[in-house]
Amino acid sequence: MGLEGSDLEGAKPFIRVLRRVEDGILALILAAMIALAAYQVIARNLFDTGLLWGDALVRVLVIWVAMIGAMVASRNDDHIRIDVLARFVSPHWQGLLKRFANAFTCAVMGVFAWHSTRFVRFEYEDGTLAFASVPAWACEAVLPVGAAVIGLRYLLHTFDPP
Amino acid sequence: MTALGIVVLLAAALAGAPLIAVLMGAAMLGFLASGIDLAAVPIEVYRIVDTPLLVALPLFTYAGYVLAESNTSQRLVAVVESFFGWLPSGLAIVSFAACALFTALTGASGVTIVALGALLLPALVQAGFGERFSLGLVTSSGSLGLLLAPSVPLILYGVIAQQIDAGPSFTIVDLFKAGLIPLLIMLACLMGWTLWAQRGAPVQRTRAVDGARIREALVAARWELPLPVVVLGGIYSGYFAISEAAAVTAVYVTIAQTLLYRDIRLRDLPAVAVKAMVMVGGILLILGVAMAFTNFLVDAEVPQRLFDFMQARIESPIAFLALLNILLLALGALLDIFAALVIMVPLILPVAMGYGIDPVHLGIVFLANMQIGYFTPPVGMNLFIASYRFKKPVLALYAACWPFMVVLLLALLLITYVPWFSLALVR
Repeated sequence: MGLEGSDLEGAKPFIRVLRRVEDGILALILAAMIALAAYQVIARNLFDTGLLWGDALVRVLVIWVAMIGAMVASRNDDHIRIDVLARFVSPHWQGLLKRFANAFTCAVMGVFAWHSTRFVRFEYEDGTLAFASVPAWACEAVLPVGAAVIGLRYLLHTFDPP
Repeated sequence: MTALGIVVLLAAALAGAPLIAVLMGAAMLGFLASGIDLAAVPIEVYRIVDTPLLVALPLFTYAGYVLAESNTSQRLVAVVESFFGWLPSGLAIVSFAACALFTALTGASGVTIVALGALLLPALVQAGFGERFSLGLVTSSGSLGLLLAPSVPLILYGVIAQQIDAGPSFTIVDLFKAGLIPLLIMLACLMGWTLWAQRGAPVQRTRAVDGARIREALVAARWELPLPVVVLGGIYSGYFAISEAAAVTAVYVTIAQTLLYRDIRLRDLPAVAVKAMVMVGGILLILGVAMAFTNFLVDAEVPQRLFDFMQARIESPIAFLALLNILLLALGALLDIFAALVIMVPLILPVAMGYGIDPVHLGIVFLANMQIGYFTPPVGMNLFIASYRFKKPVLALYAACWPFMVVLLLALLLITYVPWFSLALVR
């Protein structure tokens, strides 16, 4: 977990609760997505009806699941990578490379979080609707929040690689 | 400034930064250099929402993880064995077929070796196949079935290719149809070779065909038998859209494994869901960012320049395909399949179009290469999964896998140079 024996030891119970909440939200969103998508299929094929905004909501849930899934993957740095170099250098260098890669990730996510915040603000000011009466900005807000969380986790990984 | 940015990006990629960060950085750098507001990056990523097909990815991946966590693998092997176990080298034949089916049912999310390998390896050894042969079989079959619906990599290829919008149009169902004959060719080559290699070996046949055993296996698998019919039948017949089939599969698998079989307790389900979403979340985001990056590449005419460069040196499509095979085999061994797809397809597809290659055929060739890349030394991913799972040194796996690799390379040559195999059911 990367927390053992580090300065973050005191924060462990809090972080554990935070992780459970995160897991719970992720599983709930997936459950909602499955239920809604299946309802649409049954309603459409058997009864020729269905929720007008159902498909749109399912697609929004996809990006929510993607972003939160990526947040969870960042806990232990479980992302897909191309680690060609790291296989061929000494453990000392591996550690340094790891820190550099993590700092880079933190920086990129920070920039993304900033610009996605701007994106969400534009949409808020425009008052765009995503579907039914749900404003688009509320659906898009997962981007800056997710990127910020991922960035923060990689900031921690930079000082304390998992 | 841009040059410095490129150096930092490459360094970060090689140092093992997550692909998502590298691609995001690349897209930002590209937009910066062309004077485009960086808010374009999140806007492009958010376009995931405009692609209805992508709903299928989390749903199929979730269903795959649920199946992998339950005892589906045992019931599947029992059914296939009760039908085909009487053949010479029966259990090997059964293993190939079961692996291909299981990979397809789990959306090719890489769980076959873990779920099926541990079951098949001891059984194969016990039936009299050599240890090395058995090890090679389960490791190289871990990626078999990548071409069958509802393979997630094949869906991804379709999404990326449609995004680029070059060449004749096609649907995802076309891709799935195109994969059928090539998969059968691979299976035929593997089975034929097995029969020849084991001709003098003291391999037991499992018992003769026996109605009672078939019935028993079918009854045990009763809740799973409708699944291939609904998923494969629904998709290939066109009755279900891909995302509809995915929704039905996710619900059905959940009910079957938690309520009917009780293989997975309801309270363990969230953990399985989280595991699946961690895997798929990364892929979806990478895809979103890659689409942004692809648009930049197309604007900068990179594929066009690449084609001009190639055209000046290589004239015949055959030579191009040969080069492609070598490149993709190397990439398949080095890169994760999803990474290879999002990075290479936008570059290769327009070039291949220039040589008059059908995008459907290209997709099949691409994935057939990747499938072999999974267990190509030195770093094919399945070699390491198998090494970890079966507690064997990676070197032993190199030795065990190479004959299977040669056989599958032969099948790959057929698939690559005879486009008819891929296109017969489509065009």
